[in-house]
Amino acid sequence: MLRKEVNDLLTQTDPGTPMGDMFRQYWIPALLSSELPENDCDPVRVKLLGERLIAFRDTEGRLGLIDEFCAHRGVSLWFGRNEEGGLRCPYHGWKFDHTGQCIEVPSEAPESGFCEKIKLQGYPLVQIGDVLWTHMGEKDTRPELPEWEFSTVPAEQTFTSKRWQESNWLQAMEGGIDSSHVSFLHSGGLNSDPLFKGAKGNAYNLADKKPVFEVTESDGGLFIGARRNAEDGNFYWRITPWVMPSFSMVPPRGDHPVHGHFWIPIDDENCMAWSYDYHPTRALSTDERQAMMDGHGVHCEYVPGTFQPLQNKYNDYMMDRAAQRRGDTYSGVKGIAIQDGSLQESMGPIIDRTKENLVSTDNGIIMARHRLRKAVTALRDKGITPPGTIVSHQKVRSVAKVLGPDDAFAEACVDDLKVRPGQKQTSV
Amino acid sequence: MAEAQFRVDYPNSKTRSSRIFALDKKAAQVLQQISEAPWNGAHFLTVLPAKDGKDATDAAYLRLSHPDGSPADVFEELRHADVVILISCDTRATGTAEAIAKVAFANKTMIAGLALAEGKSEGVTNEVVASLRPYASVLVVAQDNDFVPAMLTALRA
Ligand code: FES
Ligand SMILES: [Fe+2]
Repeated sequence: MLRKEVNDLLTQTDPGTPMGDMFRQYWIPALLSSELPENDCDPVRVKLLGERLIAFRDTEGRLGLIDEFCAHRGVSLWFGRNEEGGLRCPYHGWKFDHTGQCIEVPSEAPESGFCEKIKLQGYPLVQIGDVLWTHMGEKDTRPELPEWEFSTVPAEQTFTSKRWQESNWLQAMEGGIDSSHVSFLHSGGLNSDPLFKGAKGNAYNLADKKPVFEVTESDGGLFIGARRNAEDGNFYWRITPWVMPSFSMVPPRGDHPVHGHFWIPIDDENCMAWSYDYHPTRALSTDERQAMMDGHGVHCEYVPGTFQPLQNKYNDYMMDRAAQRRGDTYSGVKGIAIQDGSLQESMGPIIDRTKENLVSTDNGIIMARHRLRKAVTALRDKGITPPGTIVSHQKVRSVAKVLGPDDAFAEACVDDLKVRPGQKQTSV
Repeated sequence: MAEAQFRVDYPNSKTRSSRIFALDKKAAQVLQQISEAPWNGAHFLTVLPAKDGKDATDAAYLRLSHPDGSPADVFEELRHADVVILISCDTRATGTAEAIAKVAFANKTMIAGLALAEGKSEGVTNEVVASLRPYASVLVVAQDNDFVPAMLTALRA
């Protein structure tokens, strides 16, 4: 369980909240690059950390992420005209550039200089890989640009998707480091999903349903190791890195692409679940990319034209009781992503953690909360920059490996857990 | 508050019996500091060095004390335990982990191991982890001692 005041501390991310300030220390994924495909394309509404924003790409290709509402009388700039180097409000024609600076107020004489006094809040928007990243904190604390491996490998090696989840970010993130649910909730998918099946490691997973967990701290967060029995007294290890505040990476299976997530607060009751899938050394095959686009693996299908999953709470996630009874799926919900999302949404918008009954195998979650709490209070009380902001913390990989009985996983896998350009992931 | 909208505040669990063992002196000092806080019936137990010539892996010779210094009996302590946590900072107590584990396993109680790394070299901590590994179904290496109360609160100890 978690006391109410700590739950509030970790779950609230609006401007002015301690956790909101912490999220504003990082470069976070804001949009897929494909959402702003060309100069002067349609502006896109984005809500992040409780702030309603508008993203656009101007005539010269400059990317902007600014306050959604016109400084004049508050109209949503989503209705705006993206033309001639700025976004023009359709109500009275005020125009803003990609930084939020007002560059034209038609009712006033240009010589008056009036428009220079008008500026909407604006944040940088930078394309790295197929994601547009933003930093919503102070300019003088802005860290170097992020270098997560999935977004720095060549485009043909990587695929990213995002889905809207109607829950607080923390319960979604906790699901990503809750290794003990995999043997239950996702037990149906290991042998059937095209993005998982065929790996030798799957046999260890299915043969030993009671993994033993080891949790150690890393510079940026945690390594969570799950150990299962392998041949000759050895252990099959699956190691999940978590980097603050909300990055995690699923241990690989065979030569399949490696995947993981970011959970980014939209507001306190909604988050965006980002899912990346990449191979460190080879292009994704046509079939793999197609499977990802079709919603297999950690991805999902959508209500057309939106990032709302096709299986969602308004249709009971297309619950299939017959499949649940047959054991095709453990919860009756199809697909890894929505199996997770459905249960996390079912907890309610912000889970009341005072009512939990955690057990020892929940120690990864307990430690993650502990580290978040320490980081958020250190930032609030002493201005200490939280872990995960610097590039070296981001250069982590997940690992699947067979180790000897006495090996300490973090030590035995010290190189495997790092990004090694040009070298494959360590996988079984 | 959104989270309060649909969950009624009925209790959904009874008090647990948690037994927290400090396997060495340093761990005992950490526990001593936190044992005074109000807990939900957790027992904090310090393992004392085995008497000369006695087998430290045999629970019959295990010497335990409560925070006030009074002796405790491992069989009695573990009889109704739901949660058993072994805390260690260095490797001196390897045999006692085995002694406690044998009793806990006989009672089908699982064990969590916690290695406290604050102020210790990685080598020492790795040895601690290796010494707890055969007995623990979950093992945590914590870099700071504040994790102990955080974990005990989370587990409703
Ligand atoms: S069994 Fe874990 S939430 Fe119900
Ligand atoms: Fe999951």
